[in-house]
Amino acid sequence: MNEIRNVNVENMIKSYLKDVKKALPDWLKEKKEHNEILADLEEHIWQKASELSGNNEPTEESIRLAIEHMGKPETIAKEYKRRGEPKVYITKEMWPLYVKVLSIVFAVIFGLQIFGLIVSALTGLVNFWEMIGGLVAGIQNGLLFSFTIVTVIFVVLSMEGYFPEDFQSKKDQKKQRELVEQAAEEGLPISITGKVVKPFIKPIGEIIGGGIAIIFGLIFFIQPFPAVIFFPEFLLLLRGFGLIWITEGCLDISRGIIGNHHPEKHQVIHGFLIVVKLAAVPLLVILMNQPEIFPLFSEAWVHIGIPVEFYDEYRGIVAIVIAIVCLTTIEDIYRIVKLQKYKY
Amino acid sequence: MIKNVIGLDPEFKDYASKVESEINRGISKICILSVINESAETGIHGYQILRDLEEQTNYMLIIEEGTLYPLLRKLEEDGLIKSHREEGGRRRNYYSLTTYGKKVFNYLAGFYSKLIEAIGSLFDVNVDLKQDRYFFCPMCANKIKLSNTELKFCDACGYNLENDLSTRGLKKE
Repeated sequence: MNEIRNVNVENMIKSYLKDVKKALPDWLKEKKEHNEILADLEEHIWQKASELSGNNEPTEESIRLAIEHMGKPETIAKEYKRRGEPKVYITKEMWPLYVKVLSIVFAVIFGLQIFGLIVSALTGLVNFWEMIGGLVAGIQNGLLFSFTIVTVIFVVLSMEGYFPEDFQSKKDQKKQRELVEQAAEEGLPISITGKVVKPFIKPIGEIIGGGIAIIFGLIFFIQPFPAVIFFPEFLLLLRGFGLIWITEGCLDISRGIIGNHHPEKHQVIHGFLIVVKLAAVPLLVILMNQPEIFPLFSEAWVHIGIPVEFYDEYRGIVAIVIAIVCLTTIEDIYRIVKLQKYKY
Repeated sequence: MIKNVIGLDPEFKDYASKVESEINRGISKICILSVINESAETGIHGYQILRDLEEQTNYMLIIEEGTLYPLLRKLEEDGLIKSHREEGGRRRNYYSLTTYGKKVFNYLAGFYSKLIEAIGSLFDVNVDLKQDRYFFCPMCANKIKLSNTELKFCDACGYNLENDLSTRGLKKE
């Protein structure tokens, strides 16, 4: 009789622990640690039941009461999910990964749209305004859709108590810990996400690069060459490009002067750089649609213009330049995101 | 506590029990650390933590049993406590404070003691901080045992305590 009772009692506990295990978040179930958690709960129930029975011999009733005192499996699981510091529905710990994933998805959508634009430009099946309209609509819908999907996924992961390291293998986690310990010993900076960070820019390189851009920009803007051999429209466009290069150069020099400090200022500058780079797109579009103003000289410096039969090739080349300009803004977006981890 | 009272206005009961849970949540953590701190040498297992908490708080602070272990795991993850499993026998998990946990606990204990002393008048109660046994850092409220003869600086904020201890006649020559 006692044996049957013991079996019943053990089954009650097993069934309860099974329910707890089922309710635990997946990231915890994937770790062997959950067995320890269940062992702690089991031990606790036996001890409580022994005490409740009054004679140190757990009974069915005392086990039932002990389980009742332990609480619902969902309540226990909810406590394990309460992990991380909340930051607008997504935890602070998951936020950098969220921004990173969102940026990658945005960059891919942007890249695909630009690729589509190039194909349209090369095939010439749609006119310019249709192309721009398609590009804007495509980017808008793509960004909105991907933002919604990615955000929902990260809100759910945060609610389940996931941390970015739960997606890493044990080997990578160990390697990461060793790197951080080594960096701490050497006094190297460690980011808010607990990763070792390297210097994010080479100040001298930025200053030299910016200086070169300013020199070329000034040449384009001042135009110290015989203007009479160029079309006035072309010279005006050249001034526009010169102004853009000067601005870009100044921003690069500013980044060089700030150096490896104030990541938030670098982020703002990259934001400005995106605007400045994109400002070149309308000028390039004008150039693409007016092949006749593009200078092509004979040996005697006589403006002979691009032959009409090469207009399509010319437009294709300018479309590629537009695509490259747009793609370089992705680098700025990437850097803005990357700089986030330097804010410590 | 109010959760167990039958026949109350549900709106009042819900609200009161929600606020009660919020207050308990913050206090539970520091009280668990305190119980673990008391068994610094041997460590203490989960069930005993709950028993000690109930007895020492006169059954006022009751933590739902299932929520204790997630809380202990969180404290371990934060590096405040460490655990070791009993070899053989019942294989119970014993918890003890880490050096960092001890530092955090001393600070939180000091802050909480000063806080309840300060808010005591709001509820017309007196709180005795036992200042003959403890000194509270004037800068951060860290709780420091006066039995520590090496006492010079606050180990939480680094504040030089010598002058304050001398002024209060607490400095041991």
